[in-house]
Amino acid sequence: MADPKKKGKAEGPVSYDPSFSKEVFEKVDYGEKIKMCMQCGVCAASCPLSMVMDYSPRKIFALIRAGKRSEVLSSKAIMLCTSCYSCKVRCPRKVPVVDVMHGLANYALKQGYVPREETALFGREFWKQILRLGRIDEKDLPRRYFFSKGIIPGIKKSMELADMGIVLMLHKRMKLLPERSVKGIKELRKMLEKASAMGNGGA
Amino acid sequence: MSKKVGVYICKGCGIGDSLDIEKLAGLPEEEYSIDTVKIHEAFCTKEGVDLIKDDIANGVNAVVIAACSPRVNYDVFDFGVDKIVERVNLREQVAWSHAPKDEDTQMLAEDNLRMGIVKANASEPPVPFKAEEDYSGKLLVVGGGLAGMTAALEAAKAGYEVILVEKEAKLGGFLNKCKQRVTFPYKELTPTGIEDMAAEVSANPNIKVYTSAKVDEISGGPCLFNLKISQNGTQITEKVGSIIQATGWVPYDAKKLPHLGYGRFKDVVTNVEFEEMAKEGKIRRPSDGGEVKTALFIQCAGSRDPEHLPYCSSVCCLVSLKQATYLKEQDPEAVSYILYKDMRTIAQAEDFYRKAQRDGNIFIRGSVEAVGDEGGKLYVAGYDELLGEKIKIEGIDLVVLAVGMVPASKPEAVPKIKAPEGAPGADSEGMIEVAADSGFFANRTLNLLYRQGPELPTLRYGFPDSHFICFPYETRRTGIYTAGCIRRPMESYQAEEDAVGAAMKAIQCIELTMRGMAVHPRAGDMSYPEFFMQRCTQCKRCTEECPFGAINEDEKANPLPQPTRCRRCGVCMGACPERIISFKNYSVPMIGDMIKAIHVPEEDEGKPRVVALICENDAYPALDMAGIKRMSWSPYIRFIPVRCLGSVNLVWIADSLSRGIDGIILLGCRHGDDYQCHFIKGSELANVRLSKVAETLQRLALESDRVRYVEIGIADYHKLPGILDDFMKVIENVGPNPYKGW
Repeated sequence: MADPKKKGKAEGPVSYDPSFSKEVFEKVDYGEKIKMCMQCGVCAASCPLSMVMDYSPRKIFALIRAGKRSEVLSSKAIMLCTSCYSCKVRCPRKVPVVDVMHGLANYALKQGYVPREETALFGREFWKQILRLGRIDEKDLPRRYFFSKGIIPGIKKSMELADMGIVLMLHKRMKLLPERSVKGIKELRKMLEKASAMGNGGA
Repeated sequence: MSKKVGVYICKGCGIGDSLDIEKLAGLPEEEYSIDTVKIHEAFCTKEGVDLIKDDIANGVNAVVIAACSPRVNYDVFDFGVDKIVERVNLREQVAWSHAPKDEDTQMLAEDNLRMGIVKANASEPPVPFKAEEDYSGKLLVVGGGLAGMTAALEAAKAGYEVILVEKEAKLGGFLNKCKQRVTFPYKELTPTGIEDMAAEVSANPNIKVYTSAKVDEISGGPCLFNLKISQNGTQITEKVGSIIQATGWVPYDAKKLPHLGYGRFKDVVTNVEFEEMAKEGKIRRPSDGGEVKTALFIQCAGSRDPEHLPYCSSVCCLVSLKQATYLKEQDPEAVSYILYKDMRTIAQAEDFYRKAQRDGNIFIRGSVEAVGDEGGKLYVAGYDELLGEKIKIEGIDLVVLAVGMVPASKPEAVPKIKAPEGAPGADSEGMIEVAADSGFFANRTLNLLYRQGPELPTLRYGFPDSHFICFPYETRRTGIYTAGCIRRPMESYQAEEDAVGAAMKAIQCIELTMRGMAVHPRAGDMSYPEFFMQRCTQCKRCTEECPFGAINEDEKANPLPQPTRCRRCGVCMGACPERIISFKNYSVPMIGDMIKAIHVPEEDEGKPRVVALICENDAYPALDMAGIKRMSWSPYIRFIPVRCLGSVNLVWIADSLSRGIDGIILLGCRHGDDYQCHFIKGSELANVRLSKVAETLQRLALESDRVRYVEIGIADYHKLPGILDDFMKVIENVGPNPYKGW
């Protein structure tokens, strides 16, 4: 397993503590499904983001089993899932890995674990834009995200990615003009507000 | 028998386009004065077969059919047991694999036809063996556990009388100790049902049960086994047709596992002890009788460990899952850790693994480094492979060692015998350990009065040897079959299936032997080896080398063949230096004549000749397959099928070389630990014998390169042309045989 980030690793031997897995089984959405995990690693191999995760999905489940509460709930991995569903489709034990990851992220937030700054900023900008346009503007969202940390880092990051932006535009993959909002944006906002009020808002 | 040979040359399937059939048809008359020669477009049609049948009606009793491979259409060309049918392969090995209308191809076909005619001339129709004694059609089952009882019931249901011998006072075997079992469909625990089965066996009128009994002696062979059974001090004699050994297994001795805490801590028990505890009632801590809240199962305790049991017993994972379920049922709050190397729940047993996961048992993949005691509770320290970290699990009430299965046949210590003078490996007292594949290794159960030892030859782990892939129930003693955990580790459902298979093989053995036929793999063969005793020199090679222990010996070392034990491989024929062993349709002079029938061109023609002695079981079909795939090889090779390379008598090599044949290649099955030889030792023996040939060749001033031995499997057909052409290159380099034309 390529797992270069060993941070948070305890010094002494790990003592298994079943109480955290019990907590996950009972309180996390789809948490009980983890019982069926047989640690085959198909999820980790399928995950397009596992190379930037601190722990692969498989490892997350192993950590839950071992009772490593803070490692799991403060991990980057549970926040990084993009819902591509590769893992869920492939899991031989029918563990809905995507749902478990979101369940864990949600649970971590409720438990007061603050996501890392980048994740939180991006999430905030993302939701702002959804509320404003009802869709994502592929050049506006990154720009806002880059500049949310200040003007200098914003310019720096934009320059870094300028080449890619030009290529995308030349291939008509990105429009030059700003996106317009979707039809019925007001209705969409109402729906999102209601969903948020019901407490099922996303990360 | 007065013989009238008819030769039938087929033109179908491209043979007619490839060869000059008219010229070929002139050969039998010209060289062998055979006047009945017929040509047809396709002899396998009704018209063709009728043509042959007409001739048979007019006195032909030996039919040489030059057409397709003997591996096809054997049912079409079946003219009754009293007619000799010799098939000459002109299709797969000539027309389909060599250049059409070519001189060399024509010569190949001619030689094949000559060999076929010579063989038909030398063959006699086999007369099935019938002993003078009365035959018995009963079965003996040794061992009254699940496998033994299942085999007995199955045979009884099929209408055969069964004698069941059990050493304990009660039928049931290991399942008597079990609380419950996990079996098909592997969803839940089920009752063992062993008592009902024991009652069914006892009540069955076809089954005679001897409990607290053992087999003192077995002599004879299939259908002629004479038994002495002792029960409570009295001896009973019985006679049976075939035998099933289902003597089961014993757990691996946990005393050899002190590093896992066994013997050091009272709360470390084996899975067998855990099972007994569960059966008795409550699972407790053996040290103080306290509650078990946390249990840890150590899988592969001693298994898959070169120091202990090197193999996987395949059931211990399922057993631990079952036992974790007992604990969950006793106390839903109890936690079971299962520390495994690999969870191996075979086939549908995976469902029970899922159940154990749903129950909330905790599975850890890793290894144990230490088991210790801390404040009255145990801890297990080790390495968690999936976490990549060292772990220490504390507060354990009970550690269960999942120990593996050892076959009941495996001796505690390897038995020793007096070594011959100067033998390597002998100890200071001149004693040497017996080999596992001798009949003297296994624990005494059957007590066979065989020259080759009282028990079944085994593998080095103590499991009786069998051709594991192709015919697993056949042991190396004809008519004796193994079933259940004596054969290999297996769980109860598999043991039941195994028993059914073994019962079927045992019944087949009885039925075939009564008809004078061989059992697997030459099932139905009615020939058997006959010994011309006047010329026997008591060299003991046949009695020593028979892979199936079919030949006994009298006190003067004369061989006493037991034809019902024979598998008809011909290893004895290959062994005999006096060449006194022959079958009605397979003998040393016959193959010798076939070799002599090959026309060897003069040296200046530049056409070498090579004889290939090819095993019928794997290599010959592989060659046919290469032909079917239209592969090609040197047309200078003449193939002679043999029953087994073990039947190759070295005189054939001398015959060939003295005739001016340039090279000899032996094609047979793989030997060694993962042997594929259908007769187990045949290809190995051939290899050993061949190693002695080099010397002889040098004495004749011939190069040892001229003789080669090649192992080939049935799936390796694509390699065959390459192997053959390689050998031809070697022969070309060595140059022509100097004995040509002598």
